[in-house]
Amino acid sequence: MIRKAFALIRFENVGLQYGNAPEILSDLSFSIDPGSFHFLTGPSGAGKTSLLRLLLLSLRPTRGSITMFGKKVNRLNQDRLLELRRHIGIVFQEFRLLDHLTTFENVALPLRVLGQSEAEYTSNVKELLEWVGLGKRINAHPPLLSGGEKQRAAIARAVISRPDILLADEPTGNVDPDLSQRLVHLFAELNRMGTTIIIATHELELMEKFNYPQMQLSNGGLTFHD
Amino acid sequence: MTKLNIVRQSATTPLVPKNSIAGRTLMLLIAIMTFLSCITLGGVILVQKSAIAWSSEVGRQITIQIRPLEGEVMQSNLRTAISLAQNTPGVSNAHALSLEESQKLLEPWLGAGLDLSVLSIPRLVIVELTGARPEDIEQLRTNLGAIKGASLDTHAAWRQQLNTMAGTFVISGILILSLILAATILAIVFATRGTMASNRTIVDVLHFIGASNAFIAGEFQGRFLRIGLRGGLFGGITALLFFFGVSLAVNNALPAAANAQLSTLFGSFSLGADGILAIVMLVPIIAGLTAATSRLTVRSFLKHTS
Repeated sequence: MIRKAFALIRFENVGLQYGNAPEILSDLSFSIDPGSFHFLTGPSGAGKTSLLRLLLLSLRPTRGSITMFGKKVNRLNQDRLLELRRHIGIVFQEFRLLDHLTTFENVALPLRVLGQSEAEYTSNVKELLEWVGLGKRINAHPPLLSGGEKQRAAIARAVISRPDILLADEPTGNVDPDLSQRLVHLFAELNRMGTTIIIATHELELMEKFNYPQMQLSNGGLTFHD
Repeated sequence: MTKLNIVRQSATTPLVPKNSIAGRTLMLLIAIMTFLSCITLGGVILVQKSAIAWSSEVGRQITIQIRPLEGEVMQSNLRTAISLAQNTPGVSNAHALSLEESQKLLEPWLGAGLDLSVLSIPRLVIVELTGARPEDIEQLRTNLGAIKGASLDTHAAWRQQLNTMAGTFVISGILILSLILAATILAIVFATRGTMASNRTIVDVLHFIGASNAFIAGEFQGRFLRIGLRGGLFGGITALLFFFGVSLAVNNALPAAANAQLSTLFGSFSLGADGILAIVMLVPIIAGLTAATSRLTVRSFLKHTS
């Protein structure tokens, strides 16, 4: 079903292939409403990360059309894509924190890129770090953080600039079940504040517990399950 | 957890880690290149200044040569030549070289203790000029026609040769300077590419959070500008110390004879205020060149990778 009215994200017949390999994503047509929460699931190699990269605008589709924030992104140049990307937060499975920066500086990075001064963002970053439970770790560097702390720092970095969309690639893959649930609660809280959330995961137990709509990738196609 | 741990440290860490660039190596390379550039530039300035000084010195004198001829009285001819010269507009002084002075001039070729009285050698009259016009000199040449065996040497051939030699040296210096700057640019390009490759993770993260290529290039450019400034300063100061040291050595440490020879070749061996200013100006030029080169390289890298 394609819901066209007020869609934040709309894919129309999108296909993606790498080189001459068969298409990893075929004829994807769907739309995502603002303020929604979806799990993106599917077997390994089904193309979850590729779909997230399309949503992050770091890949262009081989065919089809992608509309985000009311703009057809296929034809946008690099600078316009980077501008749109500032409305999207991303949490990587492997965190991708910068080891030479402190937790505070890692989380503040998107605001620094936006040109804000440290005086402008310090209180916001501290408040967010308190909220994710890292208030006492602001000066610690990533190599000294535990897996859970790194994941929370990565989430804080993804949401500090209050993005409209939050994408997370296996955000609970490196943490214990208890922390996994706490992280999803954190995403749910962000969702209640208006952020559209898409979490790629293969953890069935987690998806059953939180009962959000699921996007199931299989054989290059995508099906929705409420 | 101590209270210190939760106090935000104020200094903002640069996005490009300090130790990620082979900073010291690049700084040393830029320092060496700056030093070589300054030495080349200084050498060119010294030679040009000496050439101008020589040309000016030689241009202030002309020489009348009177060959001994059968039936001519040399002393009478000398007096006539001096008189003609002194009556020429723009001539401040004219005097004949004594036999002793002529002997000293010939010593390098004929040896010391020579008795010139037994040889028929030409006699010279040194004419010193203060703003004589070319037509005055030509008039003197015409007037000297009245003295048998007299000829006028304006040293034009020497001056021409000197100017040609100095011009060749200056052009060679500029060519060497250009090659050094080209080598510096190539070294910076390679260093920047290496830095970008080793910082690919940082570039990717910055792209994922929406940093523009201009923002990323600016972060790298800032780092390279600092390296260029430090290297340039180090190389420039070392070059100035080199010239200062050589100048001291020439003036104080060398024997008088060697000092005189070097003074003849390089004048006072002093760069002067304009020479020092030219070398000082090279430092920001090389720092700016470093920053601009790295920015272009980074932009090119980002264009191909983003």
